[in-house]
Amino acid sequence: MYFKILMAYLLGYVTIEVEGYYIERFMNICNNQKIFLWNIKRPKTAIMRVNISIQDFKKIKPIAKKTKCKIKIDNKKGVPFFFHRYQKRKIFFIFFLLVIIGTVTLSNFIWNIEITGTDKIDPQEIKQLLEENDFKLGKMKATINTKQVIDQIRLQRADIAWIGIEISGTNATVKIVEADLKPDIIPEEEYCNLIATKEGMITKISAQNGTPLIKEGEIVKKGSVLVGGWLEGKYTGTRYVHANGEVQAKVWYSEKIQIPFNQEKKELTGIEEKKYSVKINNFEINFAKKLPKFENYDTIESTKKLRLFSDFYLPIEVHEKVYQEYQKQPVSYSLEEAKKMGEEELSKRLEEQIENKEAILDKKVTQTHTEEYVEVEVIYEVLENIATKEKIVF
Amino acid sequence: MREKRTKRIPNKINRILEIPQEVSSNVPKITILGFEQMMIENYKAILEYQDFYIRLSTEIGILNINGFHLNLKEMTTDDLQISGKIDSIDFEAIEDDENNT
Repeated sequence: MYFKILMAYLLGYVTIEVEGYYIERFMNICNNQKIFLWNIKRPKTAIMRVNISIQDFKKIKPIAKKTKCKIKIDNKKGVPFFFHRYQKRKIFFIFFLLVIIGTVTLSNFIWNIEITGTDKIDPQEIKQLLEENDFKLGKMKATINTKQVIDQIRLQRADIAWIGIEISGTNATVKIVEADLKPDIIPEEEYCNLIATKEGMITKISAQNGTPLIKEGEIVKKGSVLVGGWLEGKYTGTRYVHANGEVQAKVWYSEKIQIPFNQEKKELTGIEEKKYSVKINNFEINFAKKLPKFENYDTIESTKKLRLFSDFYLPIEVHEKVYQEYQKQPVSYSLEEAKKMGEEELSKRLEEQIENKEAILDKKVTQTHTEEYVEVEVIYEVLENIATKEKIVF
Repeated sequence: MREKRTKRIPNKINRILEIPQEVSSNVPKITILGFEQMMIENYKAILEYQDFYIRLSTEIGILNINGFHLNLKEMTTDDLQISGKIDSIDFEAIEDDENNT
């Protein structure tokens, strides 16, 4: 039954009002002629409102004449009437079709490249690499051979362990797994020296092979040879070997900072101005030409890509610039405060450089101050292995 | 008398084949869902239809439905769907036909 009503909607139906005294007879005759009626209502004794499909409506006239009923069309519904109504609005339909065709064709291109998984490698570099391999914004999806692009990039970059390109909608996700770069390993047969990687004071030498050239307590510079890759024997003379061993040294990390007592501190006033511009591919339209009225302000830029659904990116970007006003406020610190600030700042910076924090032996803080500023220097003393192998070149 | 005979033979077959009665005979099947929906299969004709009163003729008699805002949702040759507040239903059996069934 619902199927019949749905079909009637597709083919069109009308709501008619039948007025007369023999409505029951009218209904029975319709029934006998297999005319489908639905949603029959009887608001008044002499009036019946009924839905009927277009095809059946043509058959109804002789029946109405027979039963002496008047028929009035109340409402027309369905697809044919809908089209009939919009026949005059051809331009609207043409544009509607154009929009649909536009979205379908646009969906065949890539409008967004997302790079994930990068930690040490700059995403911009990857983007450039992709572009060199003909994988850029506005490219047809069908013409892209992801396998080839992946192979090319893997050949060019040694520090990428794996790349995956996933295209969903107009969005391409490039997943990258970075490889750890390994130091060059010198094969056992080749001769090598041990040299210092950092400046430091030697505390312990344990050479498994080779001749130590330095003593404990000696201060070495970066690049100087610690263990020579040769052995001298009474009878054999000088014989070159593959030097091996560990040299521990005290290494100093130091950092300096000047902290003035009188500083200016930014304080946001909370007043913002937002300005928008639209970028279509490489063509930018500014909506606001003027710069903000503030004297001092921070600019925060953000870009949003327009998208239809979760994956359907359009080649349109909206740039948002937020100008936040701030006021400069003079702040003065006492000697102790400034010193503490400097020390904290430097410790933080230094501890980022030091890999093994357990090996920290000592921490020294020195300071000199003038009327305007205090200069703080923090030195960390760390015990480290400073030896690496270097091939002997004859 | 002739009619009786012609009807009896298929009746037996139908009973053996377990064909439902509303299919095999023209006895109306009345289904009421809640207080507001009603479906009548195997009806003959509508005798009267008003907003508050429907009178249908069937094979075995006349069916009266009283209520308010009675609408005929769908009407085909076999079945009729009524919606609206149904107040009461009553039957007027045709005495002569009772012998037949």
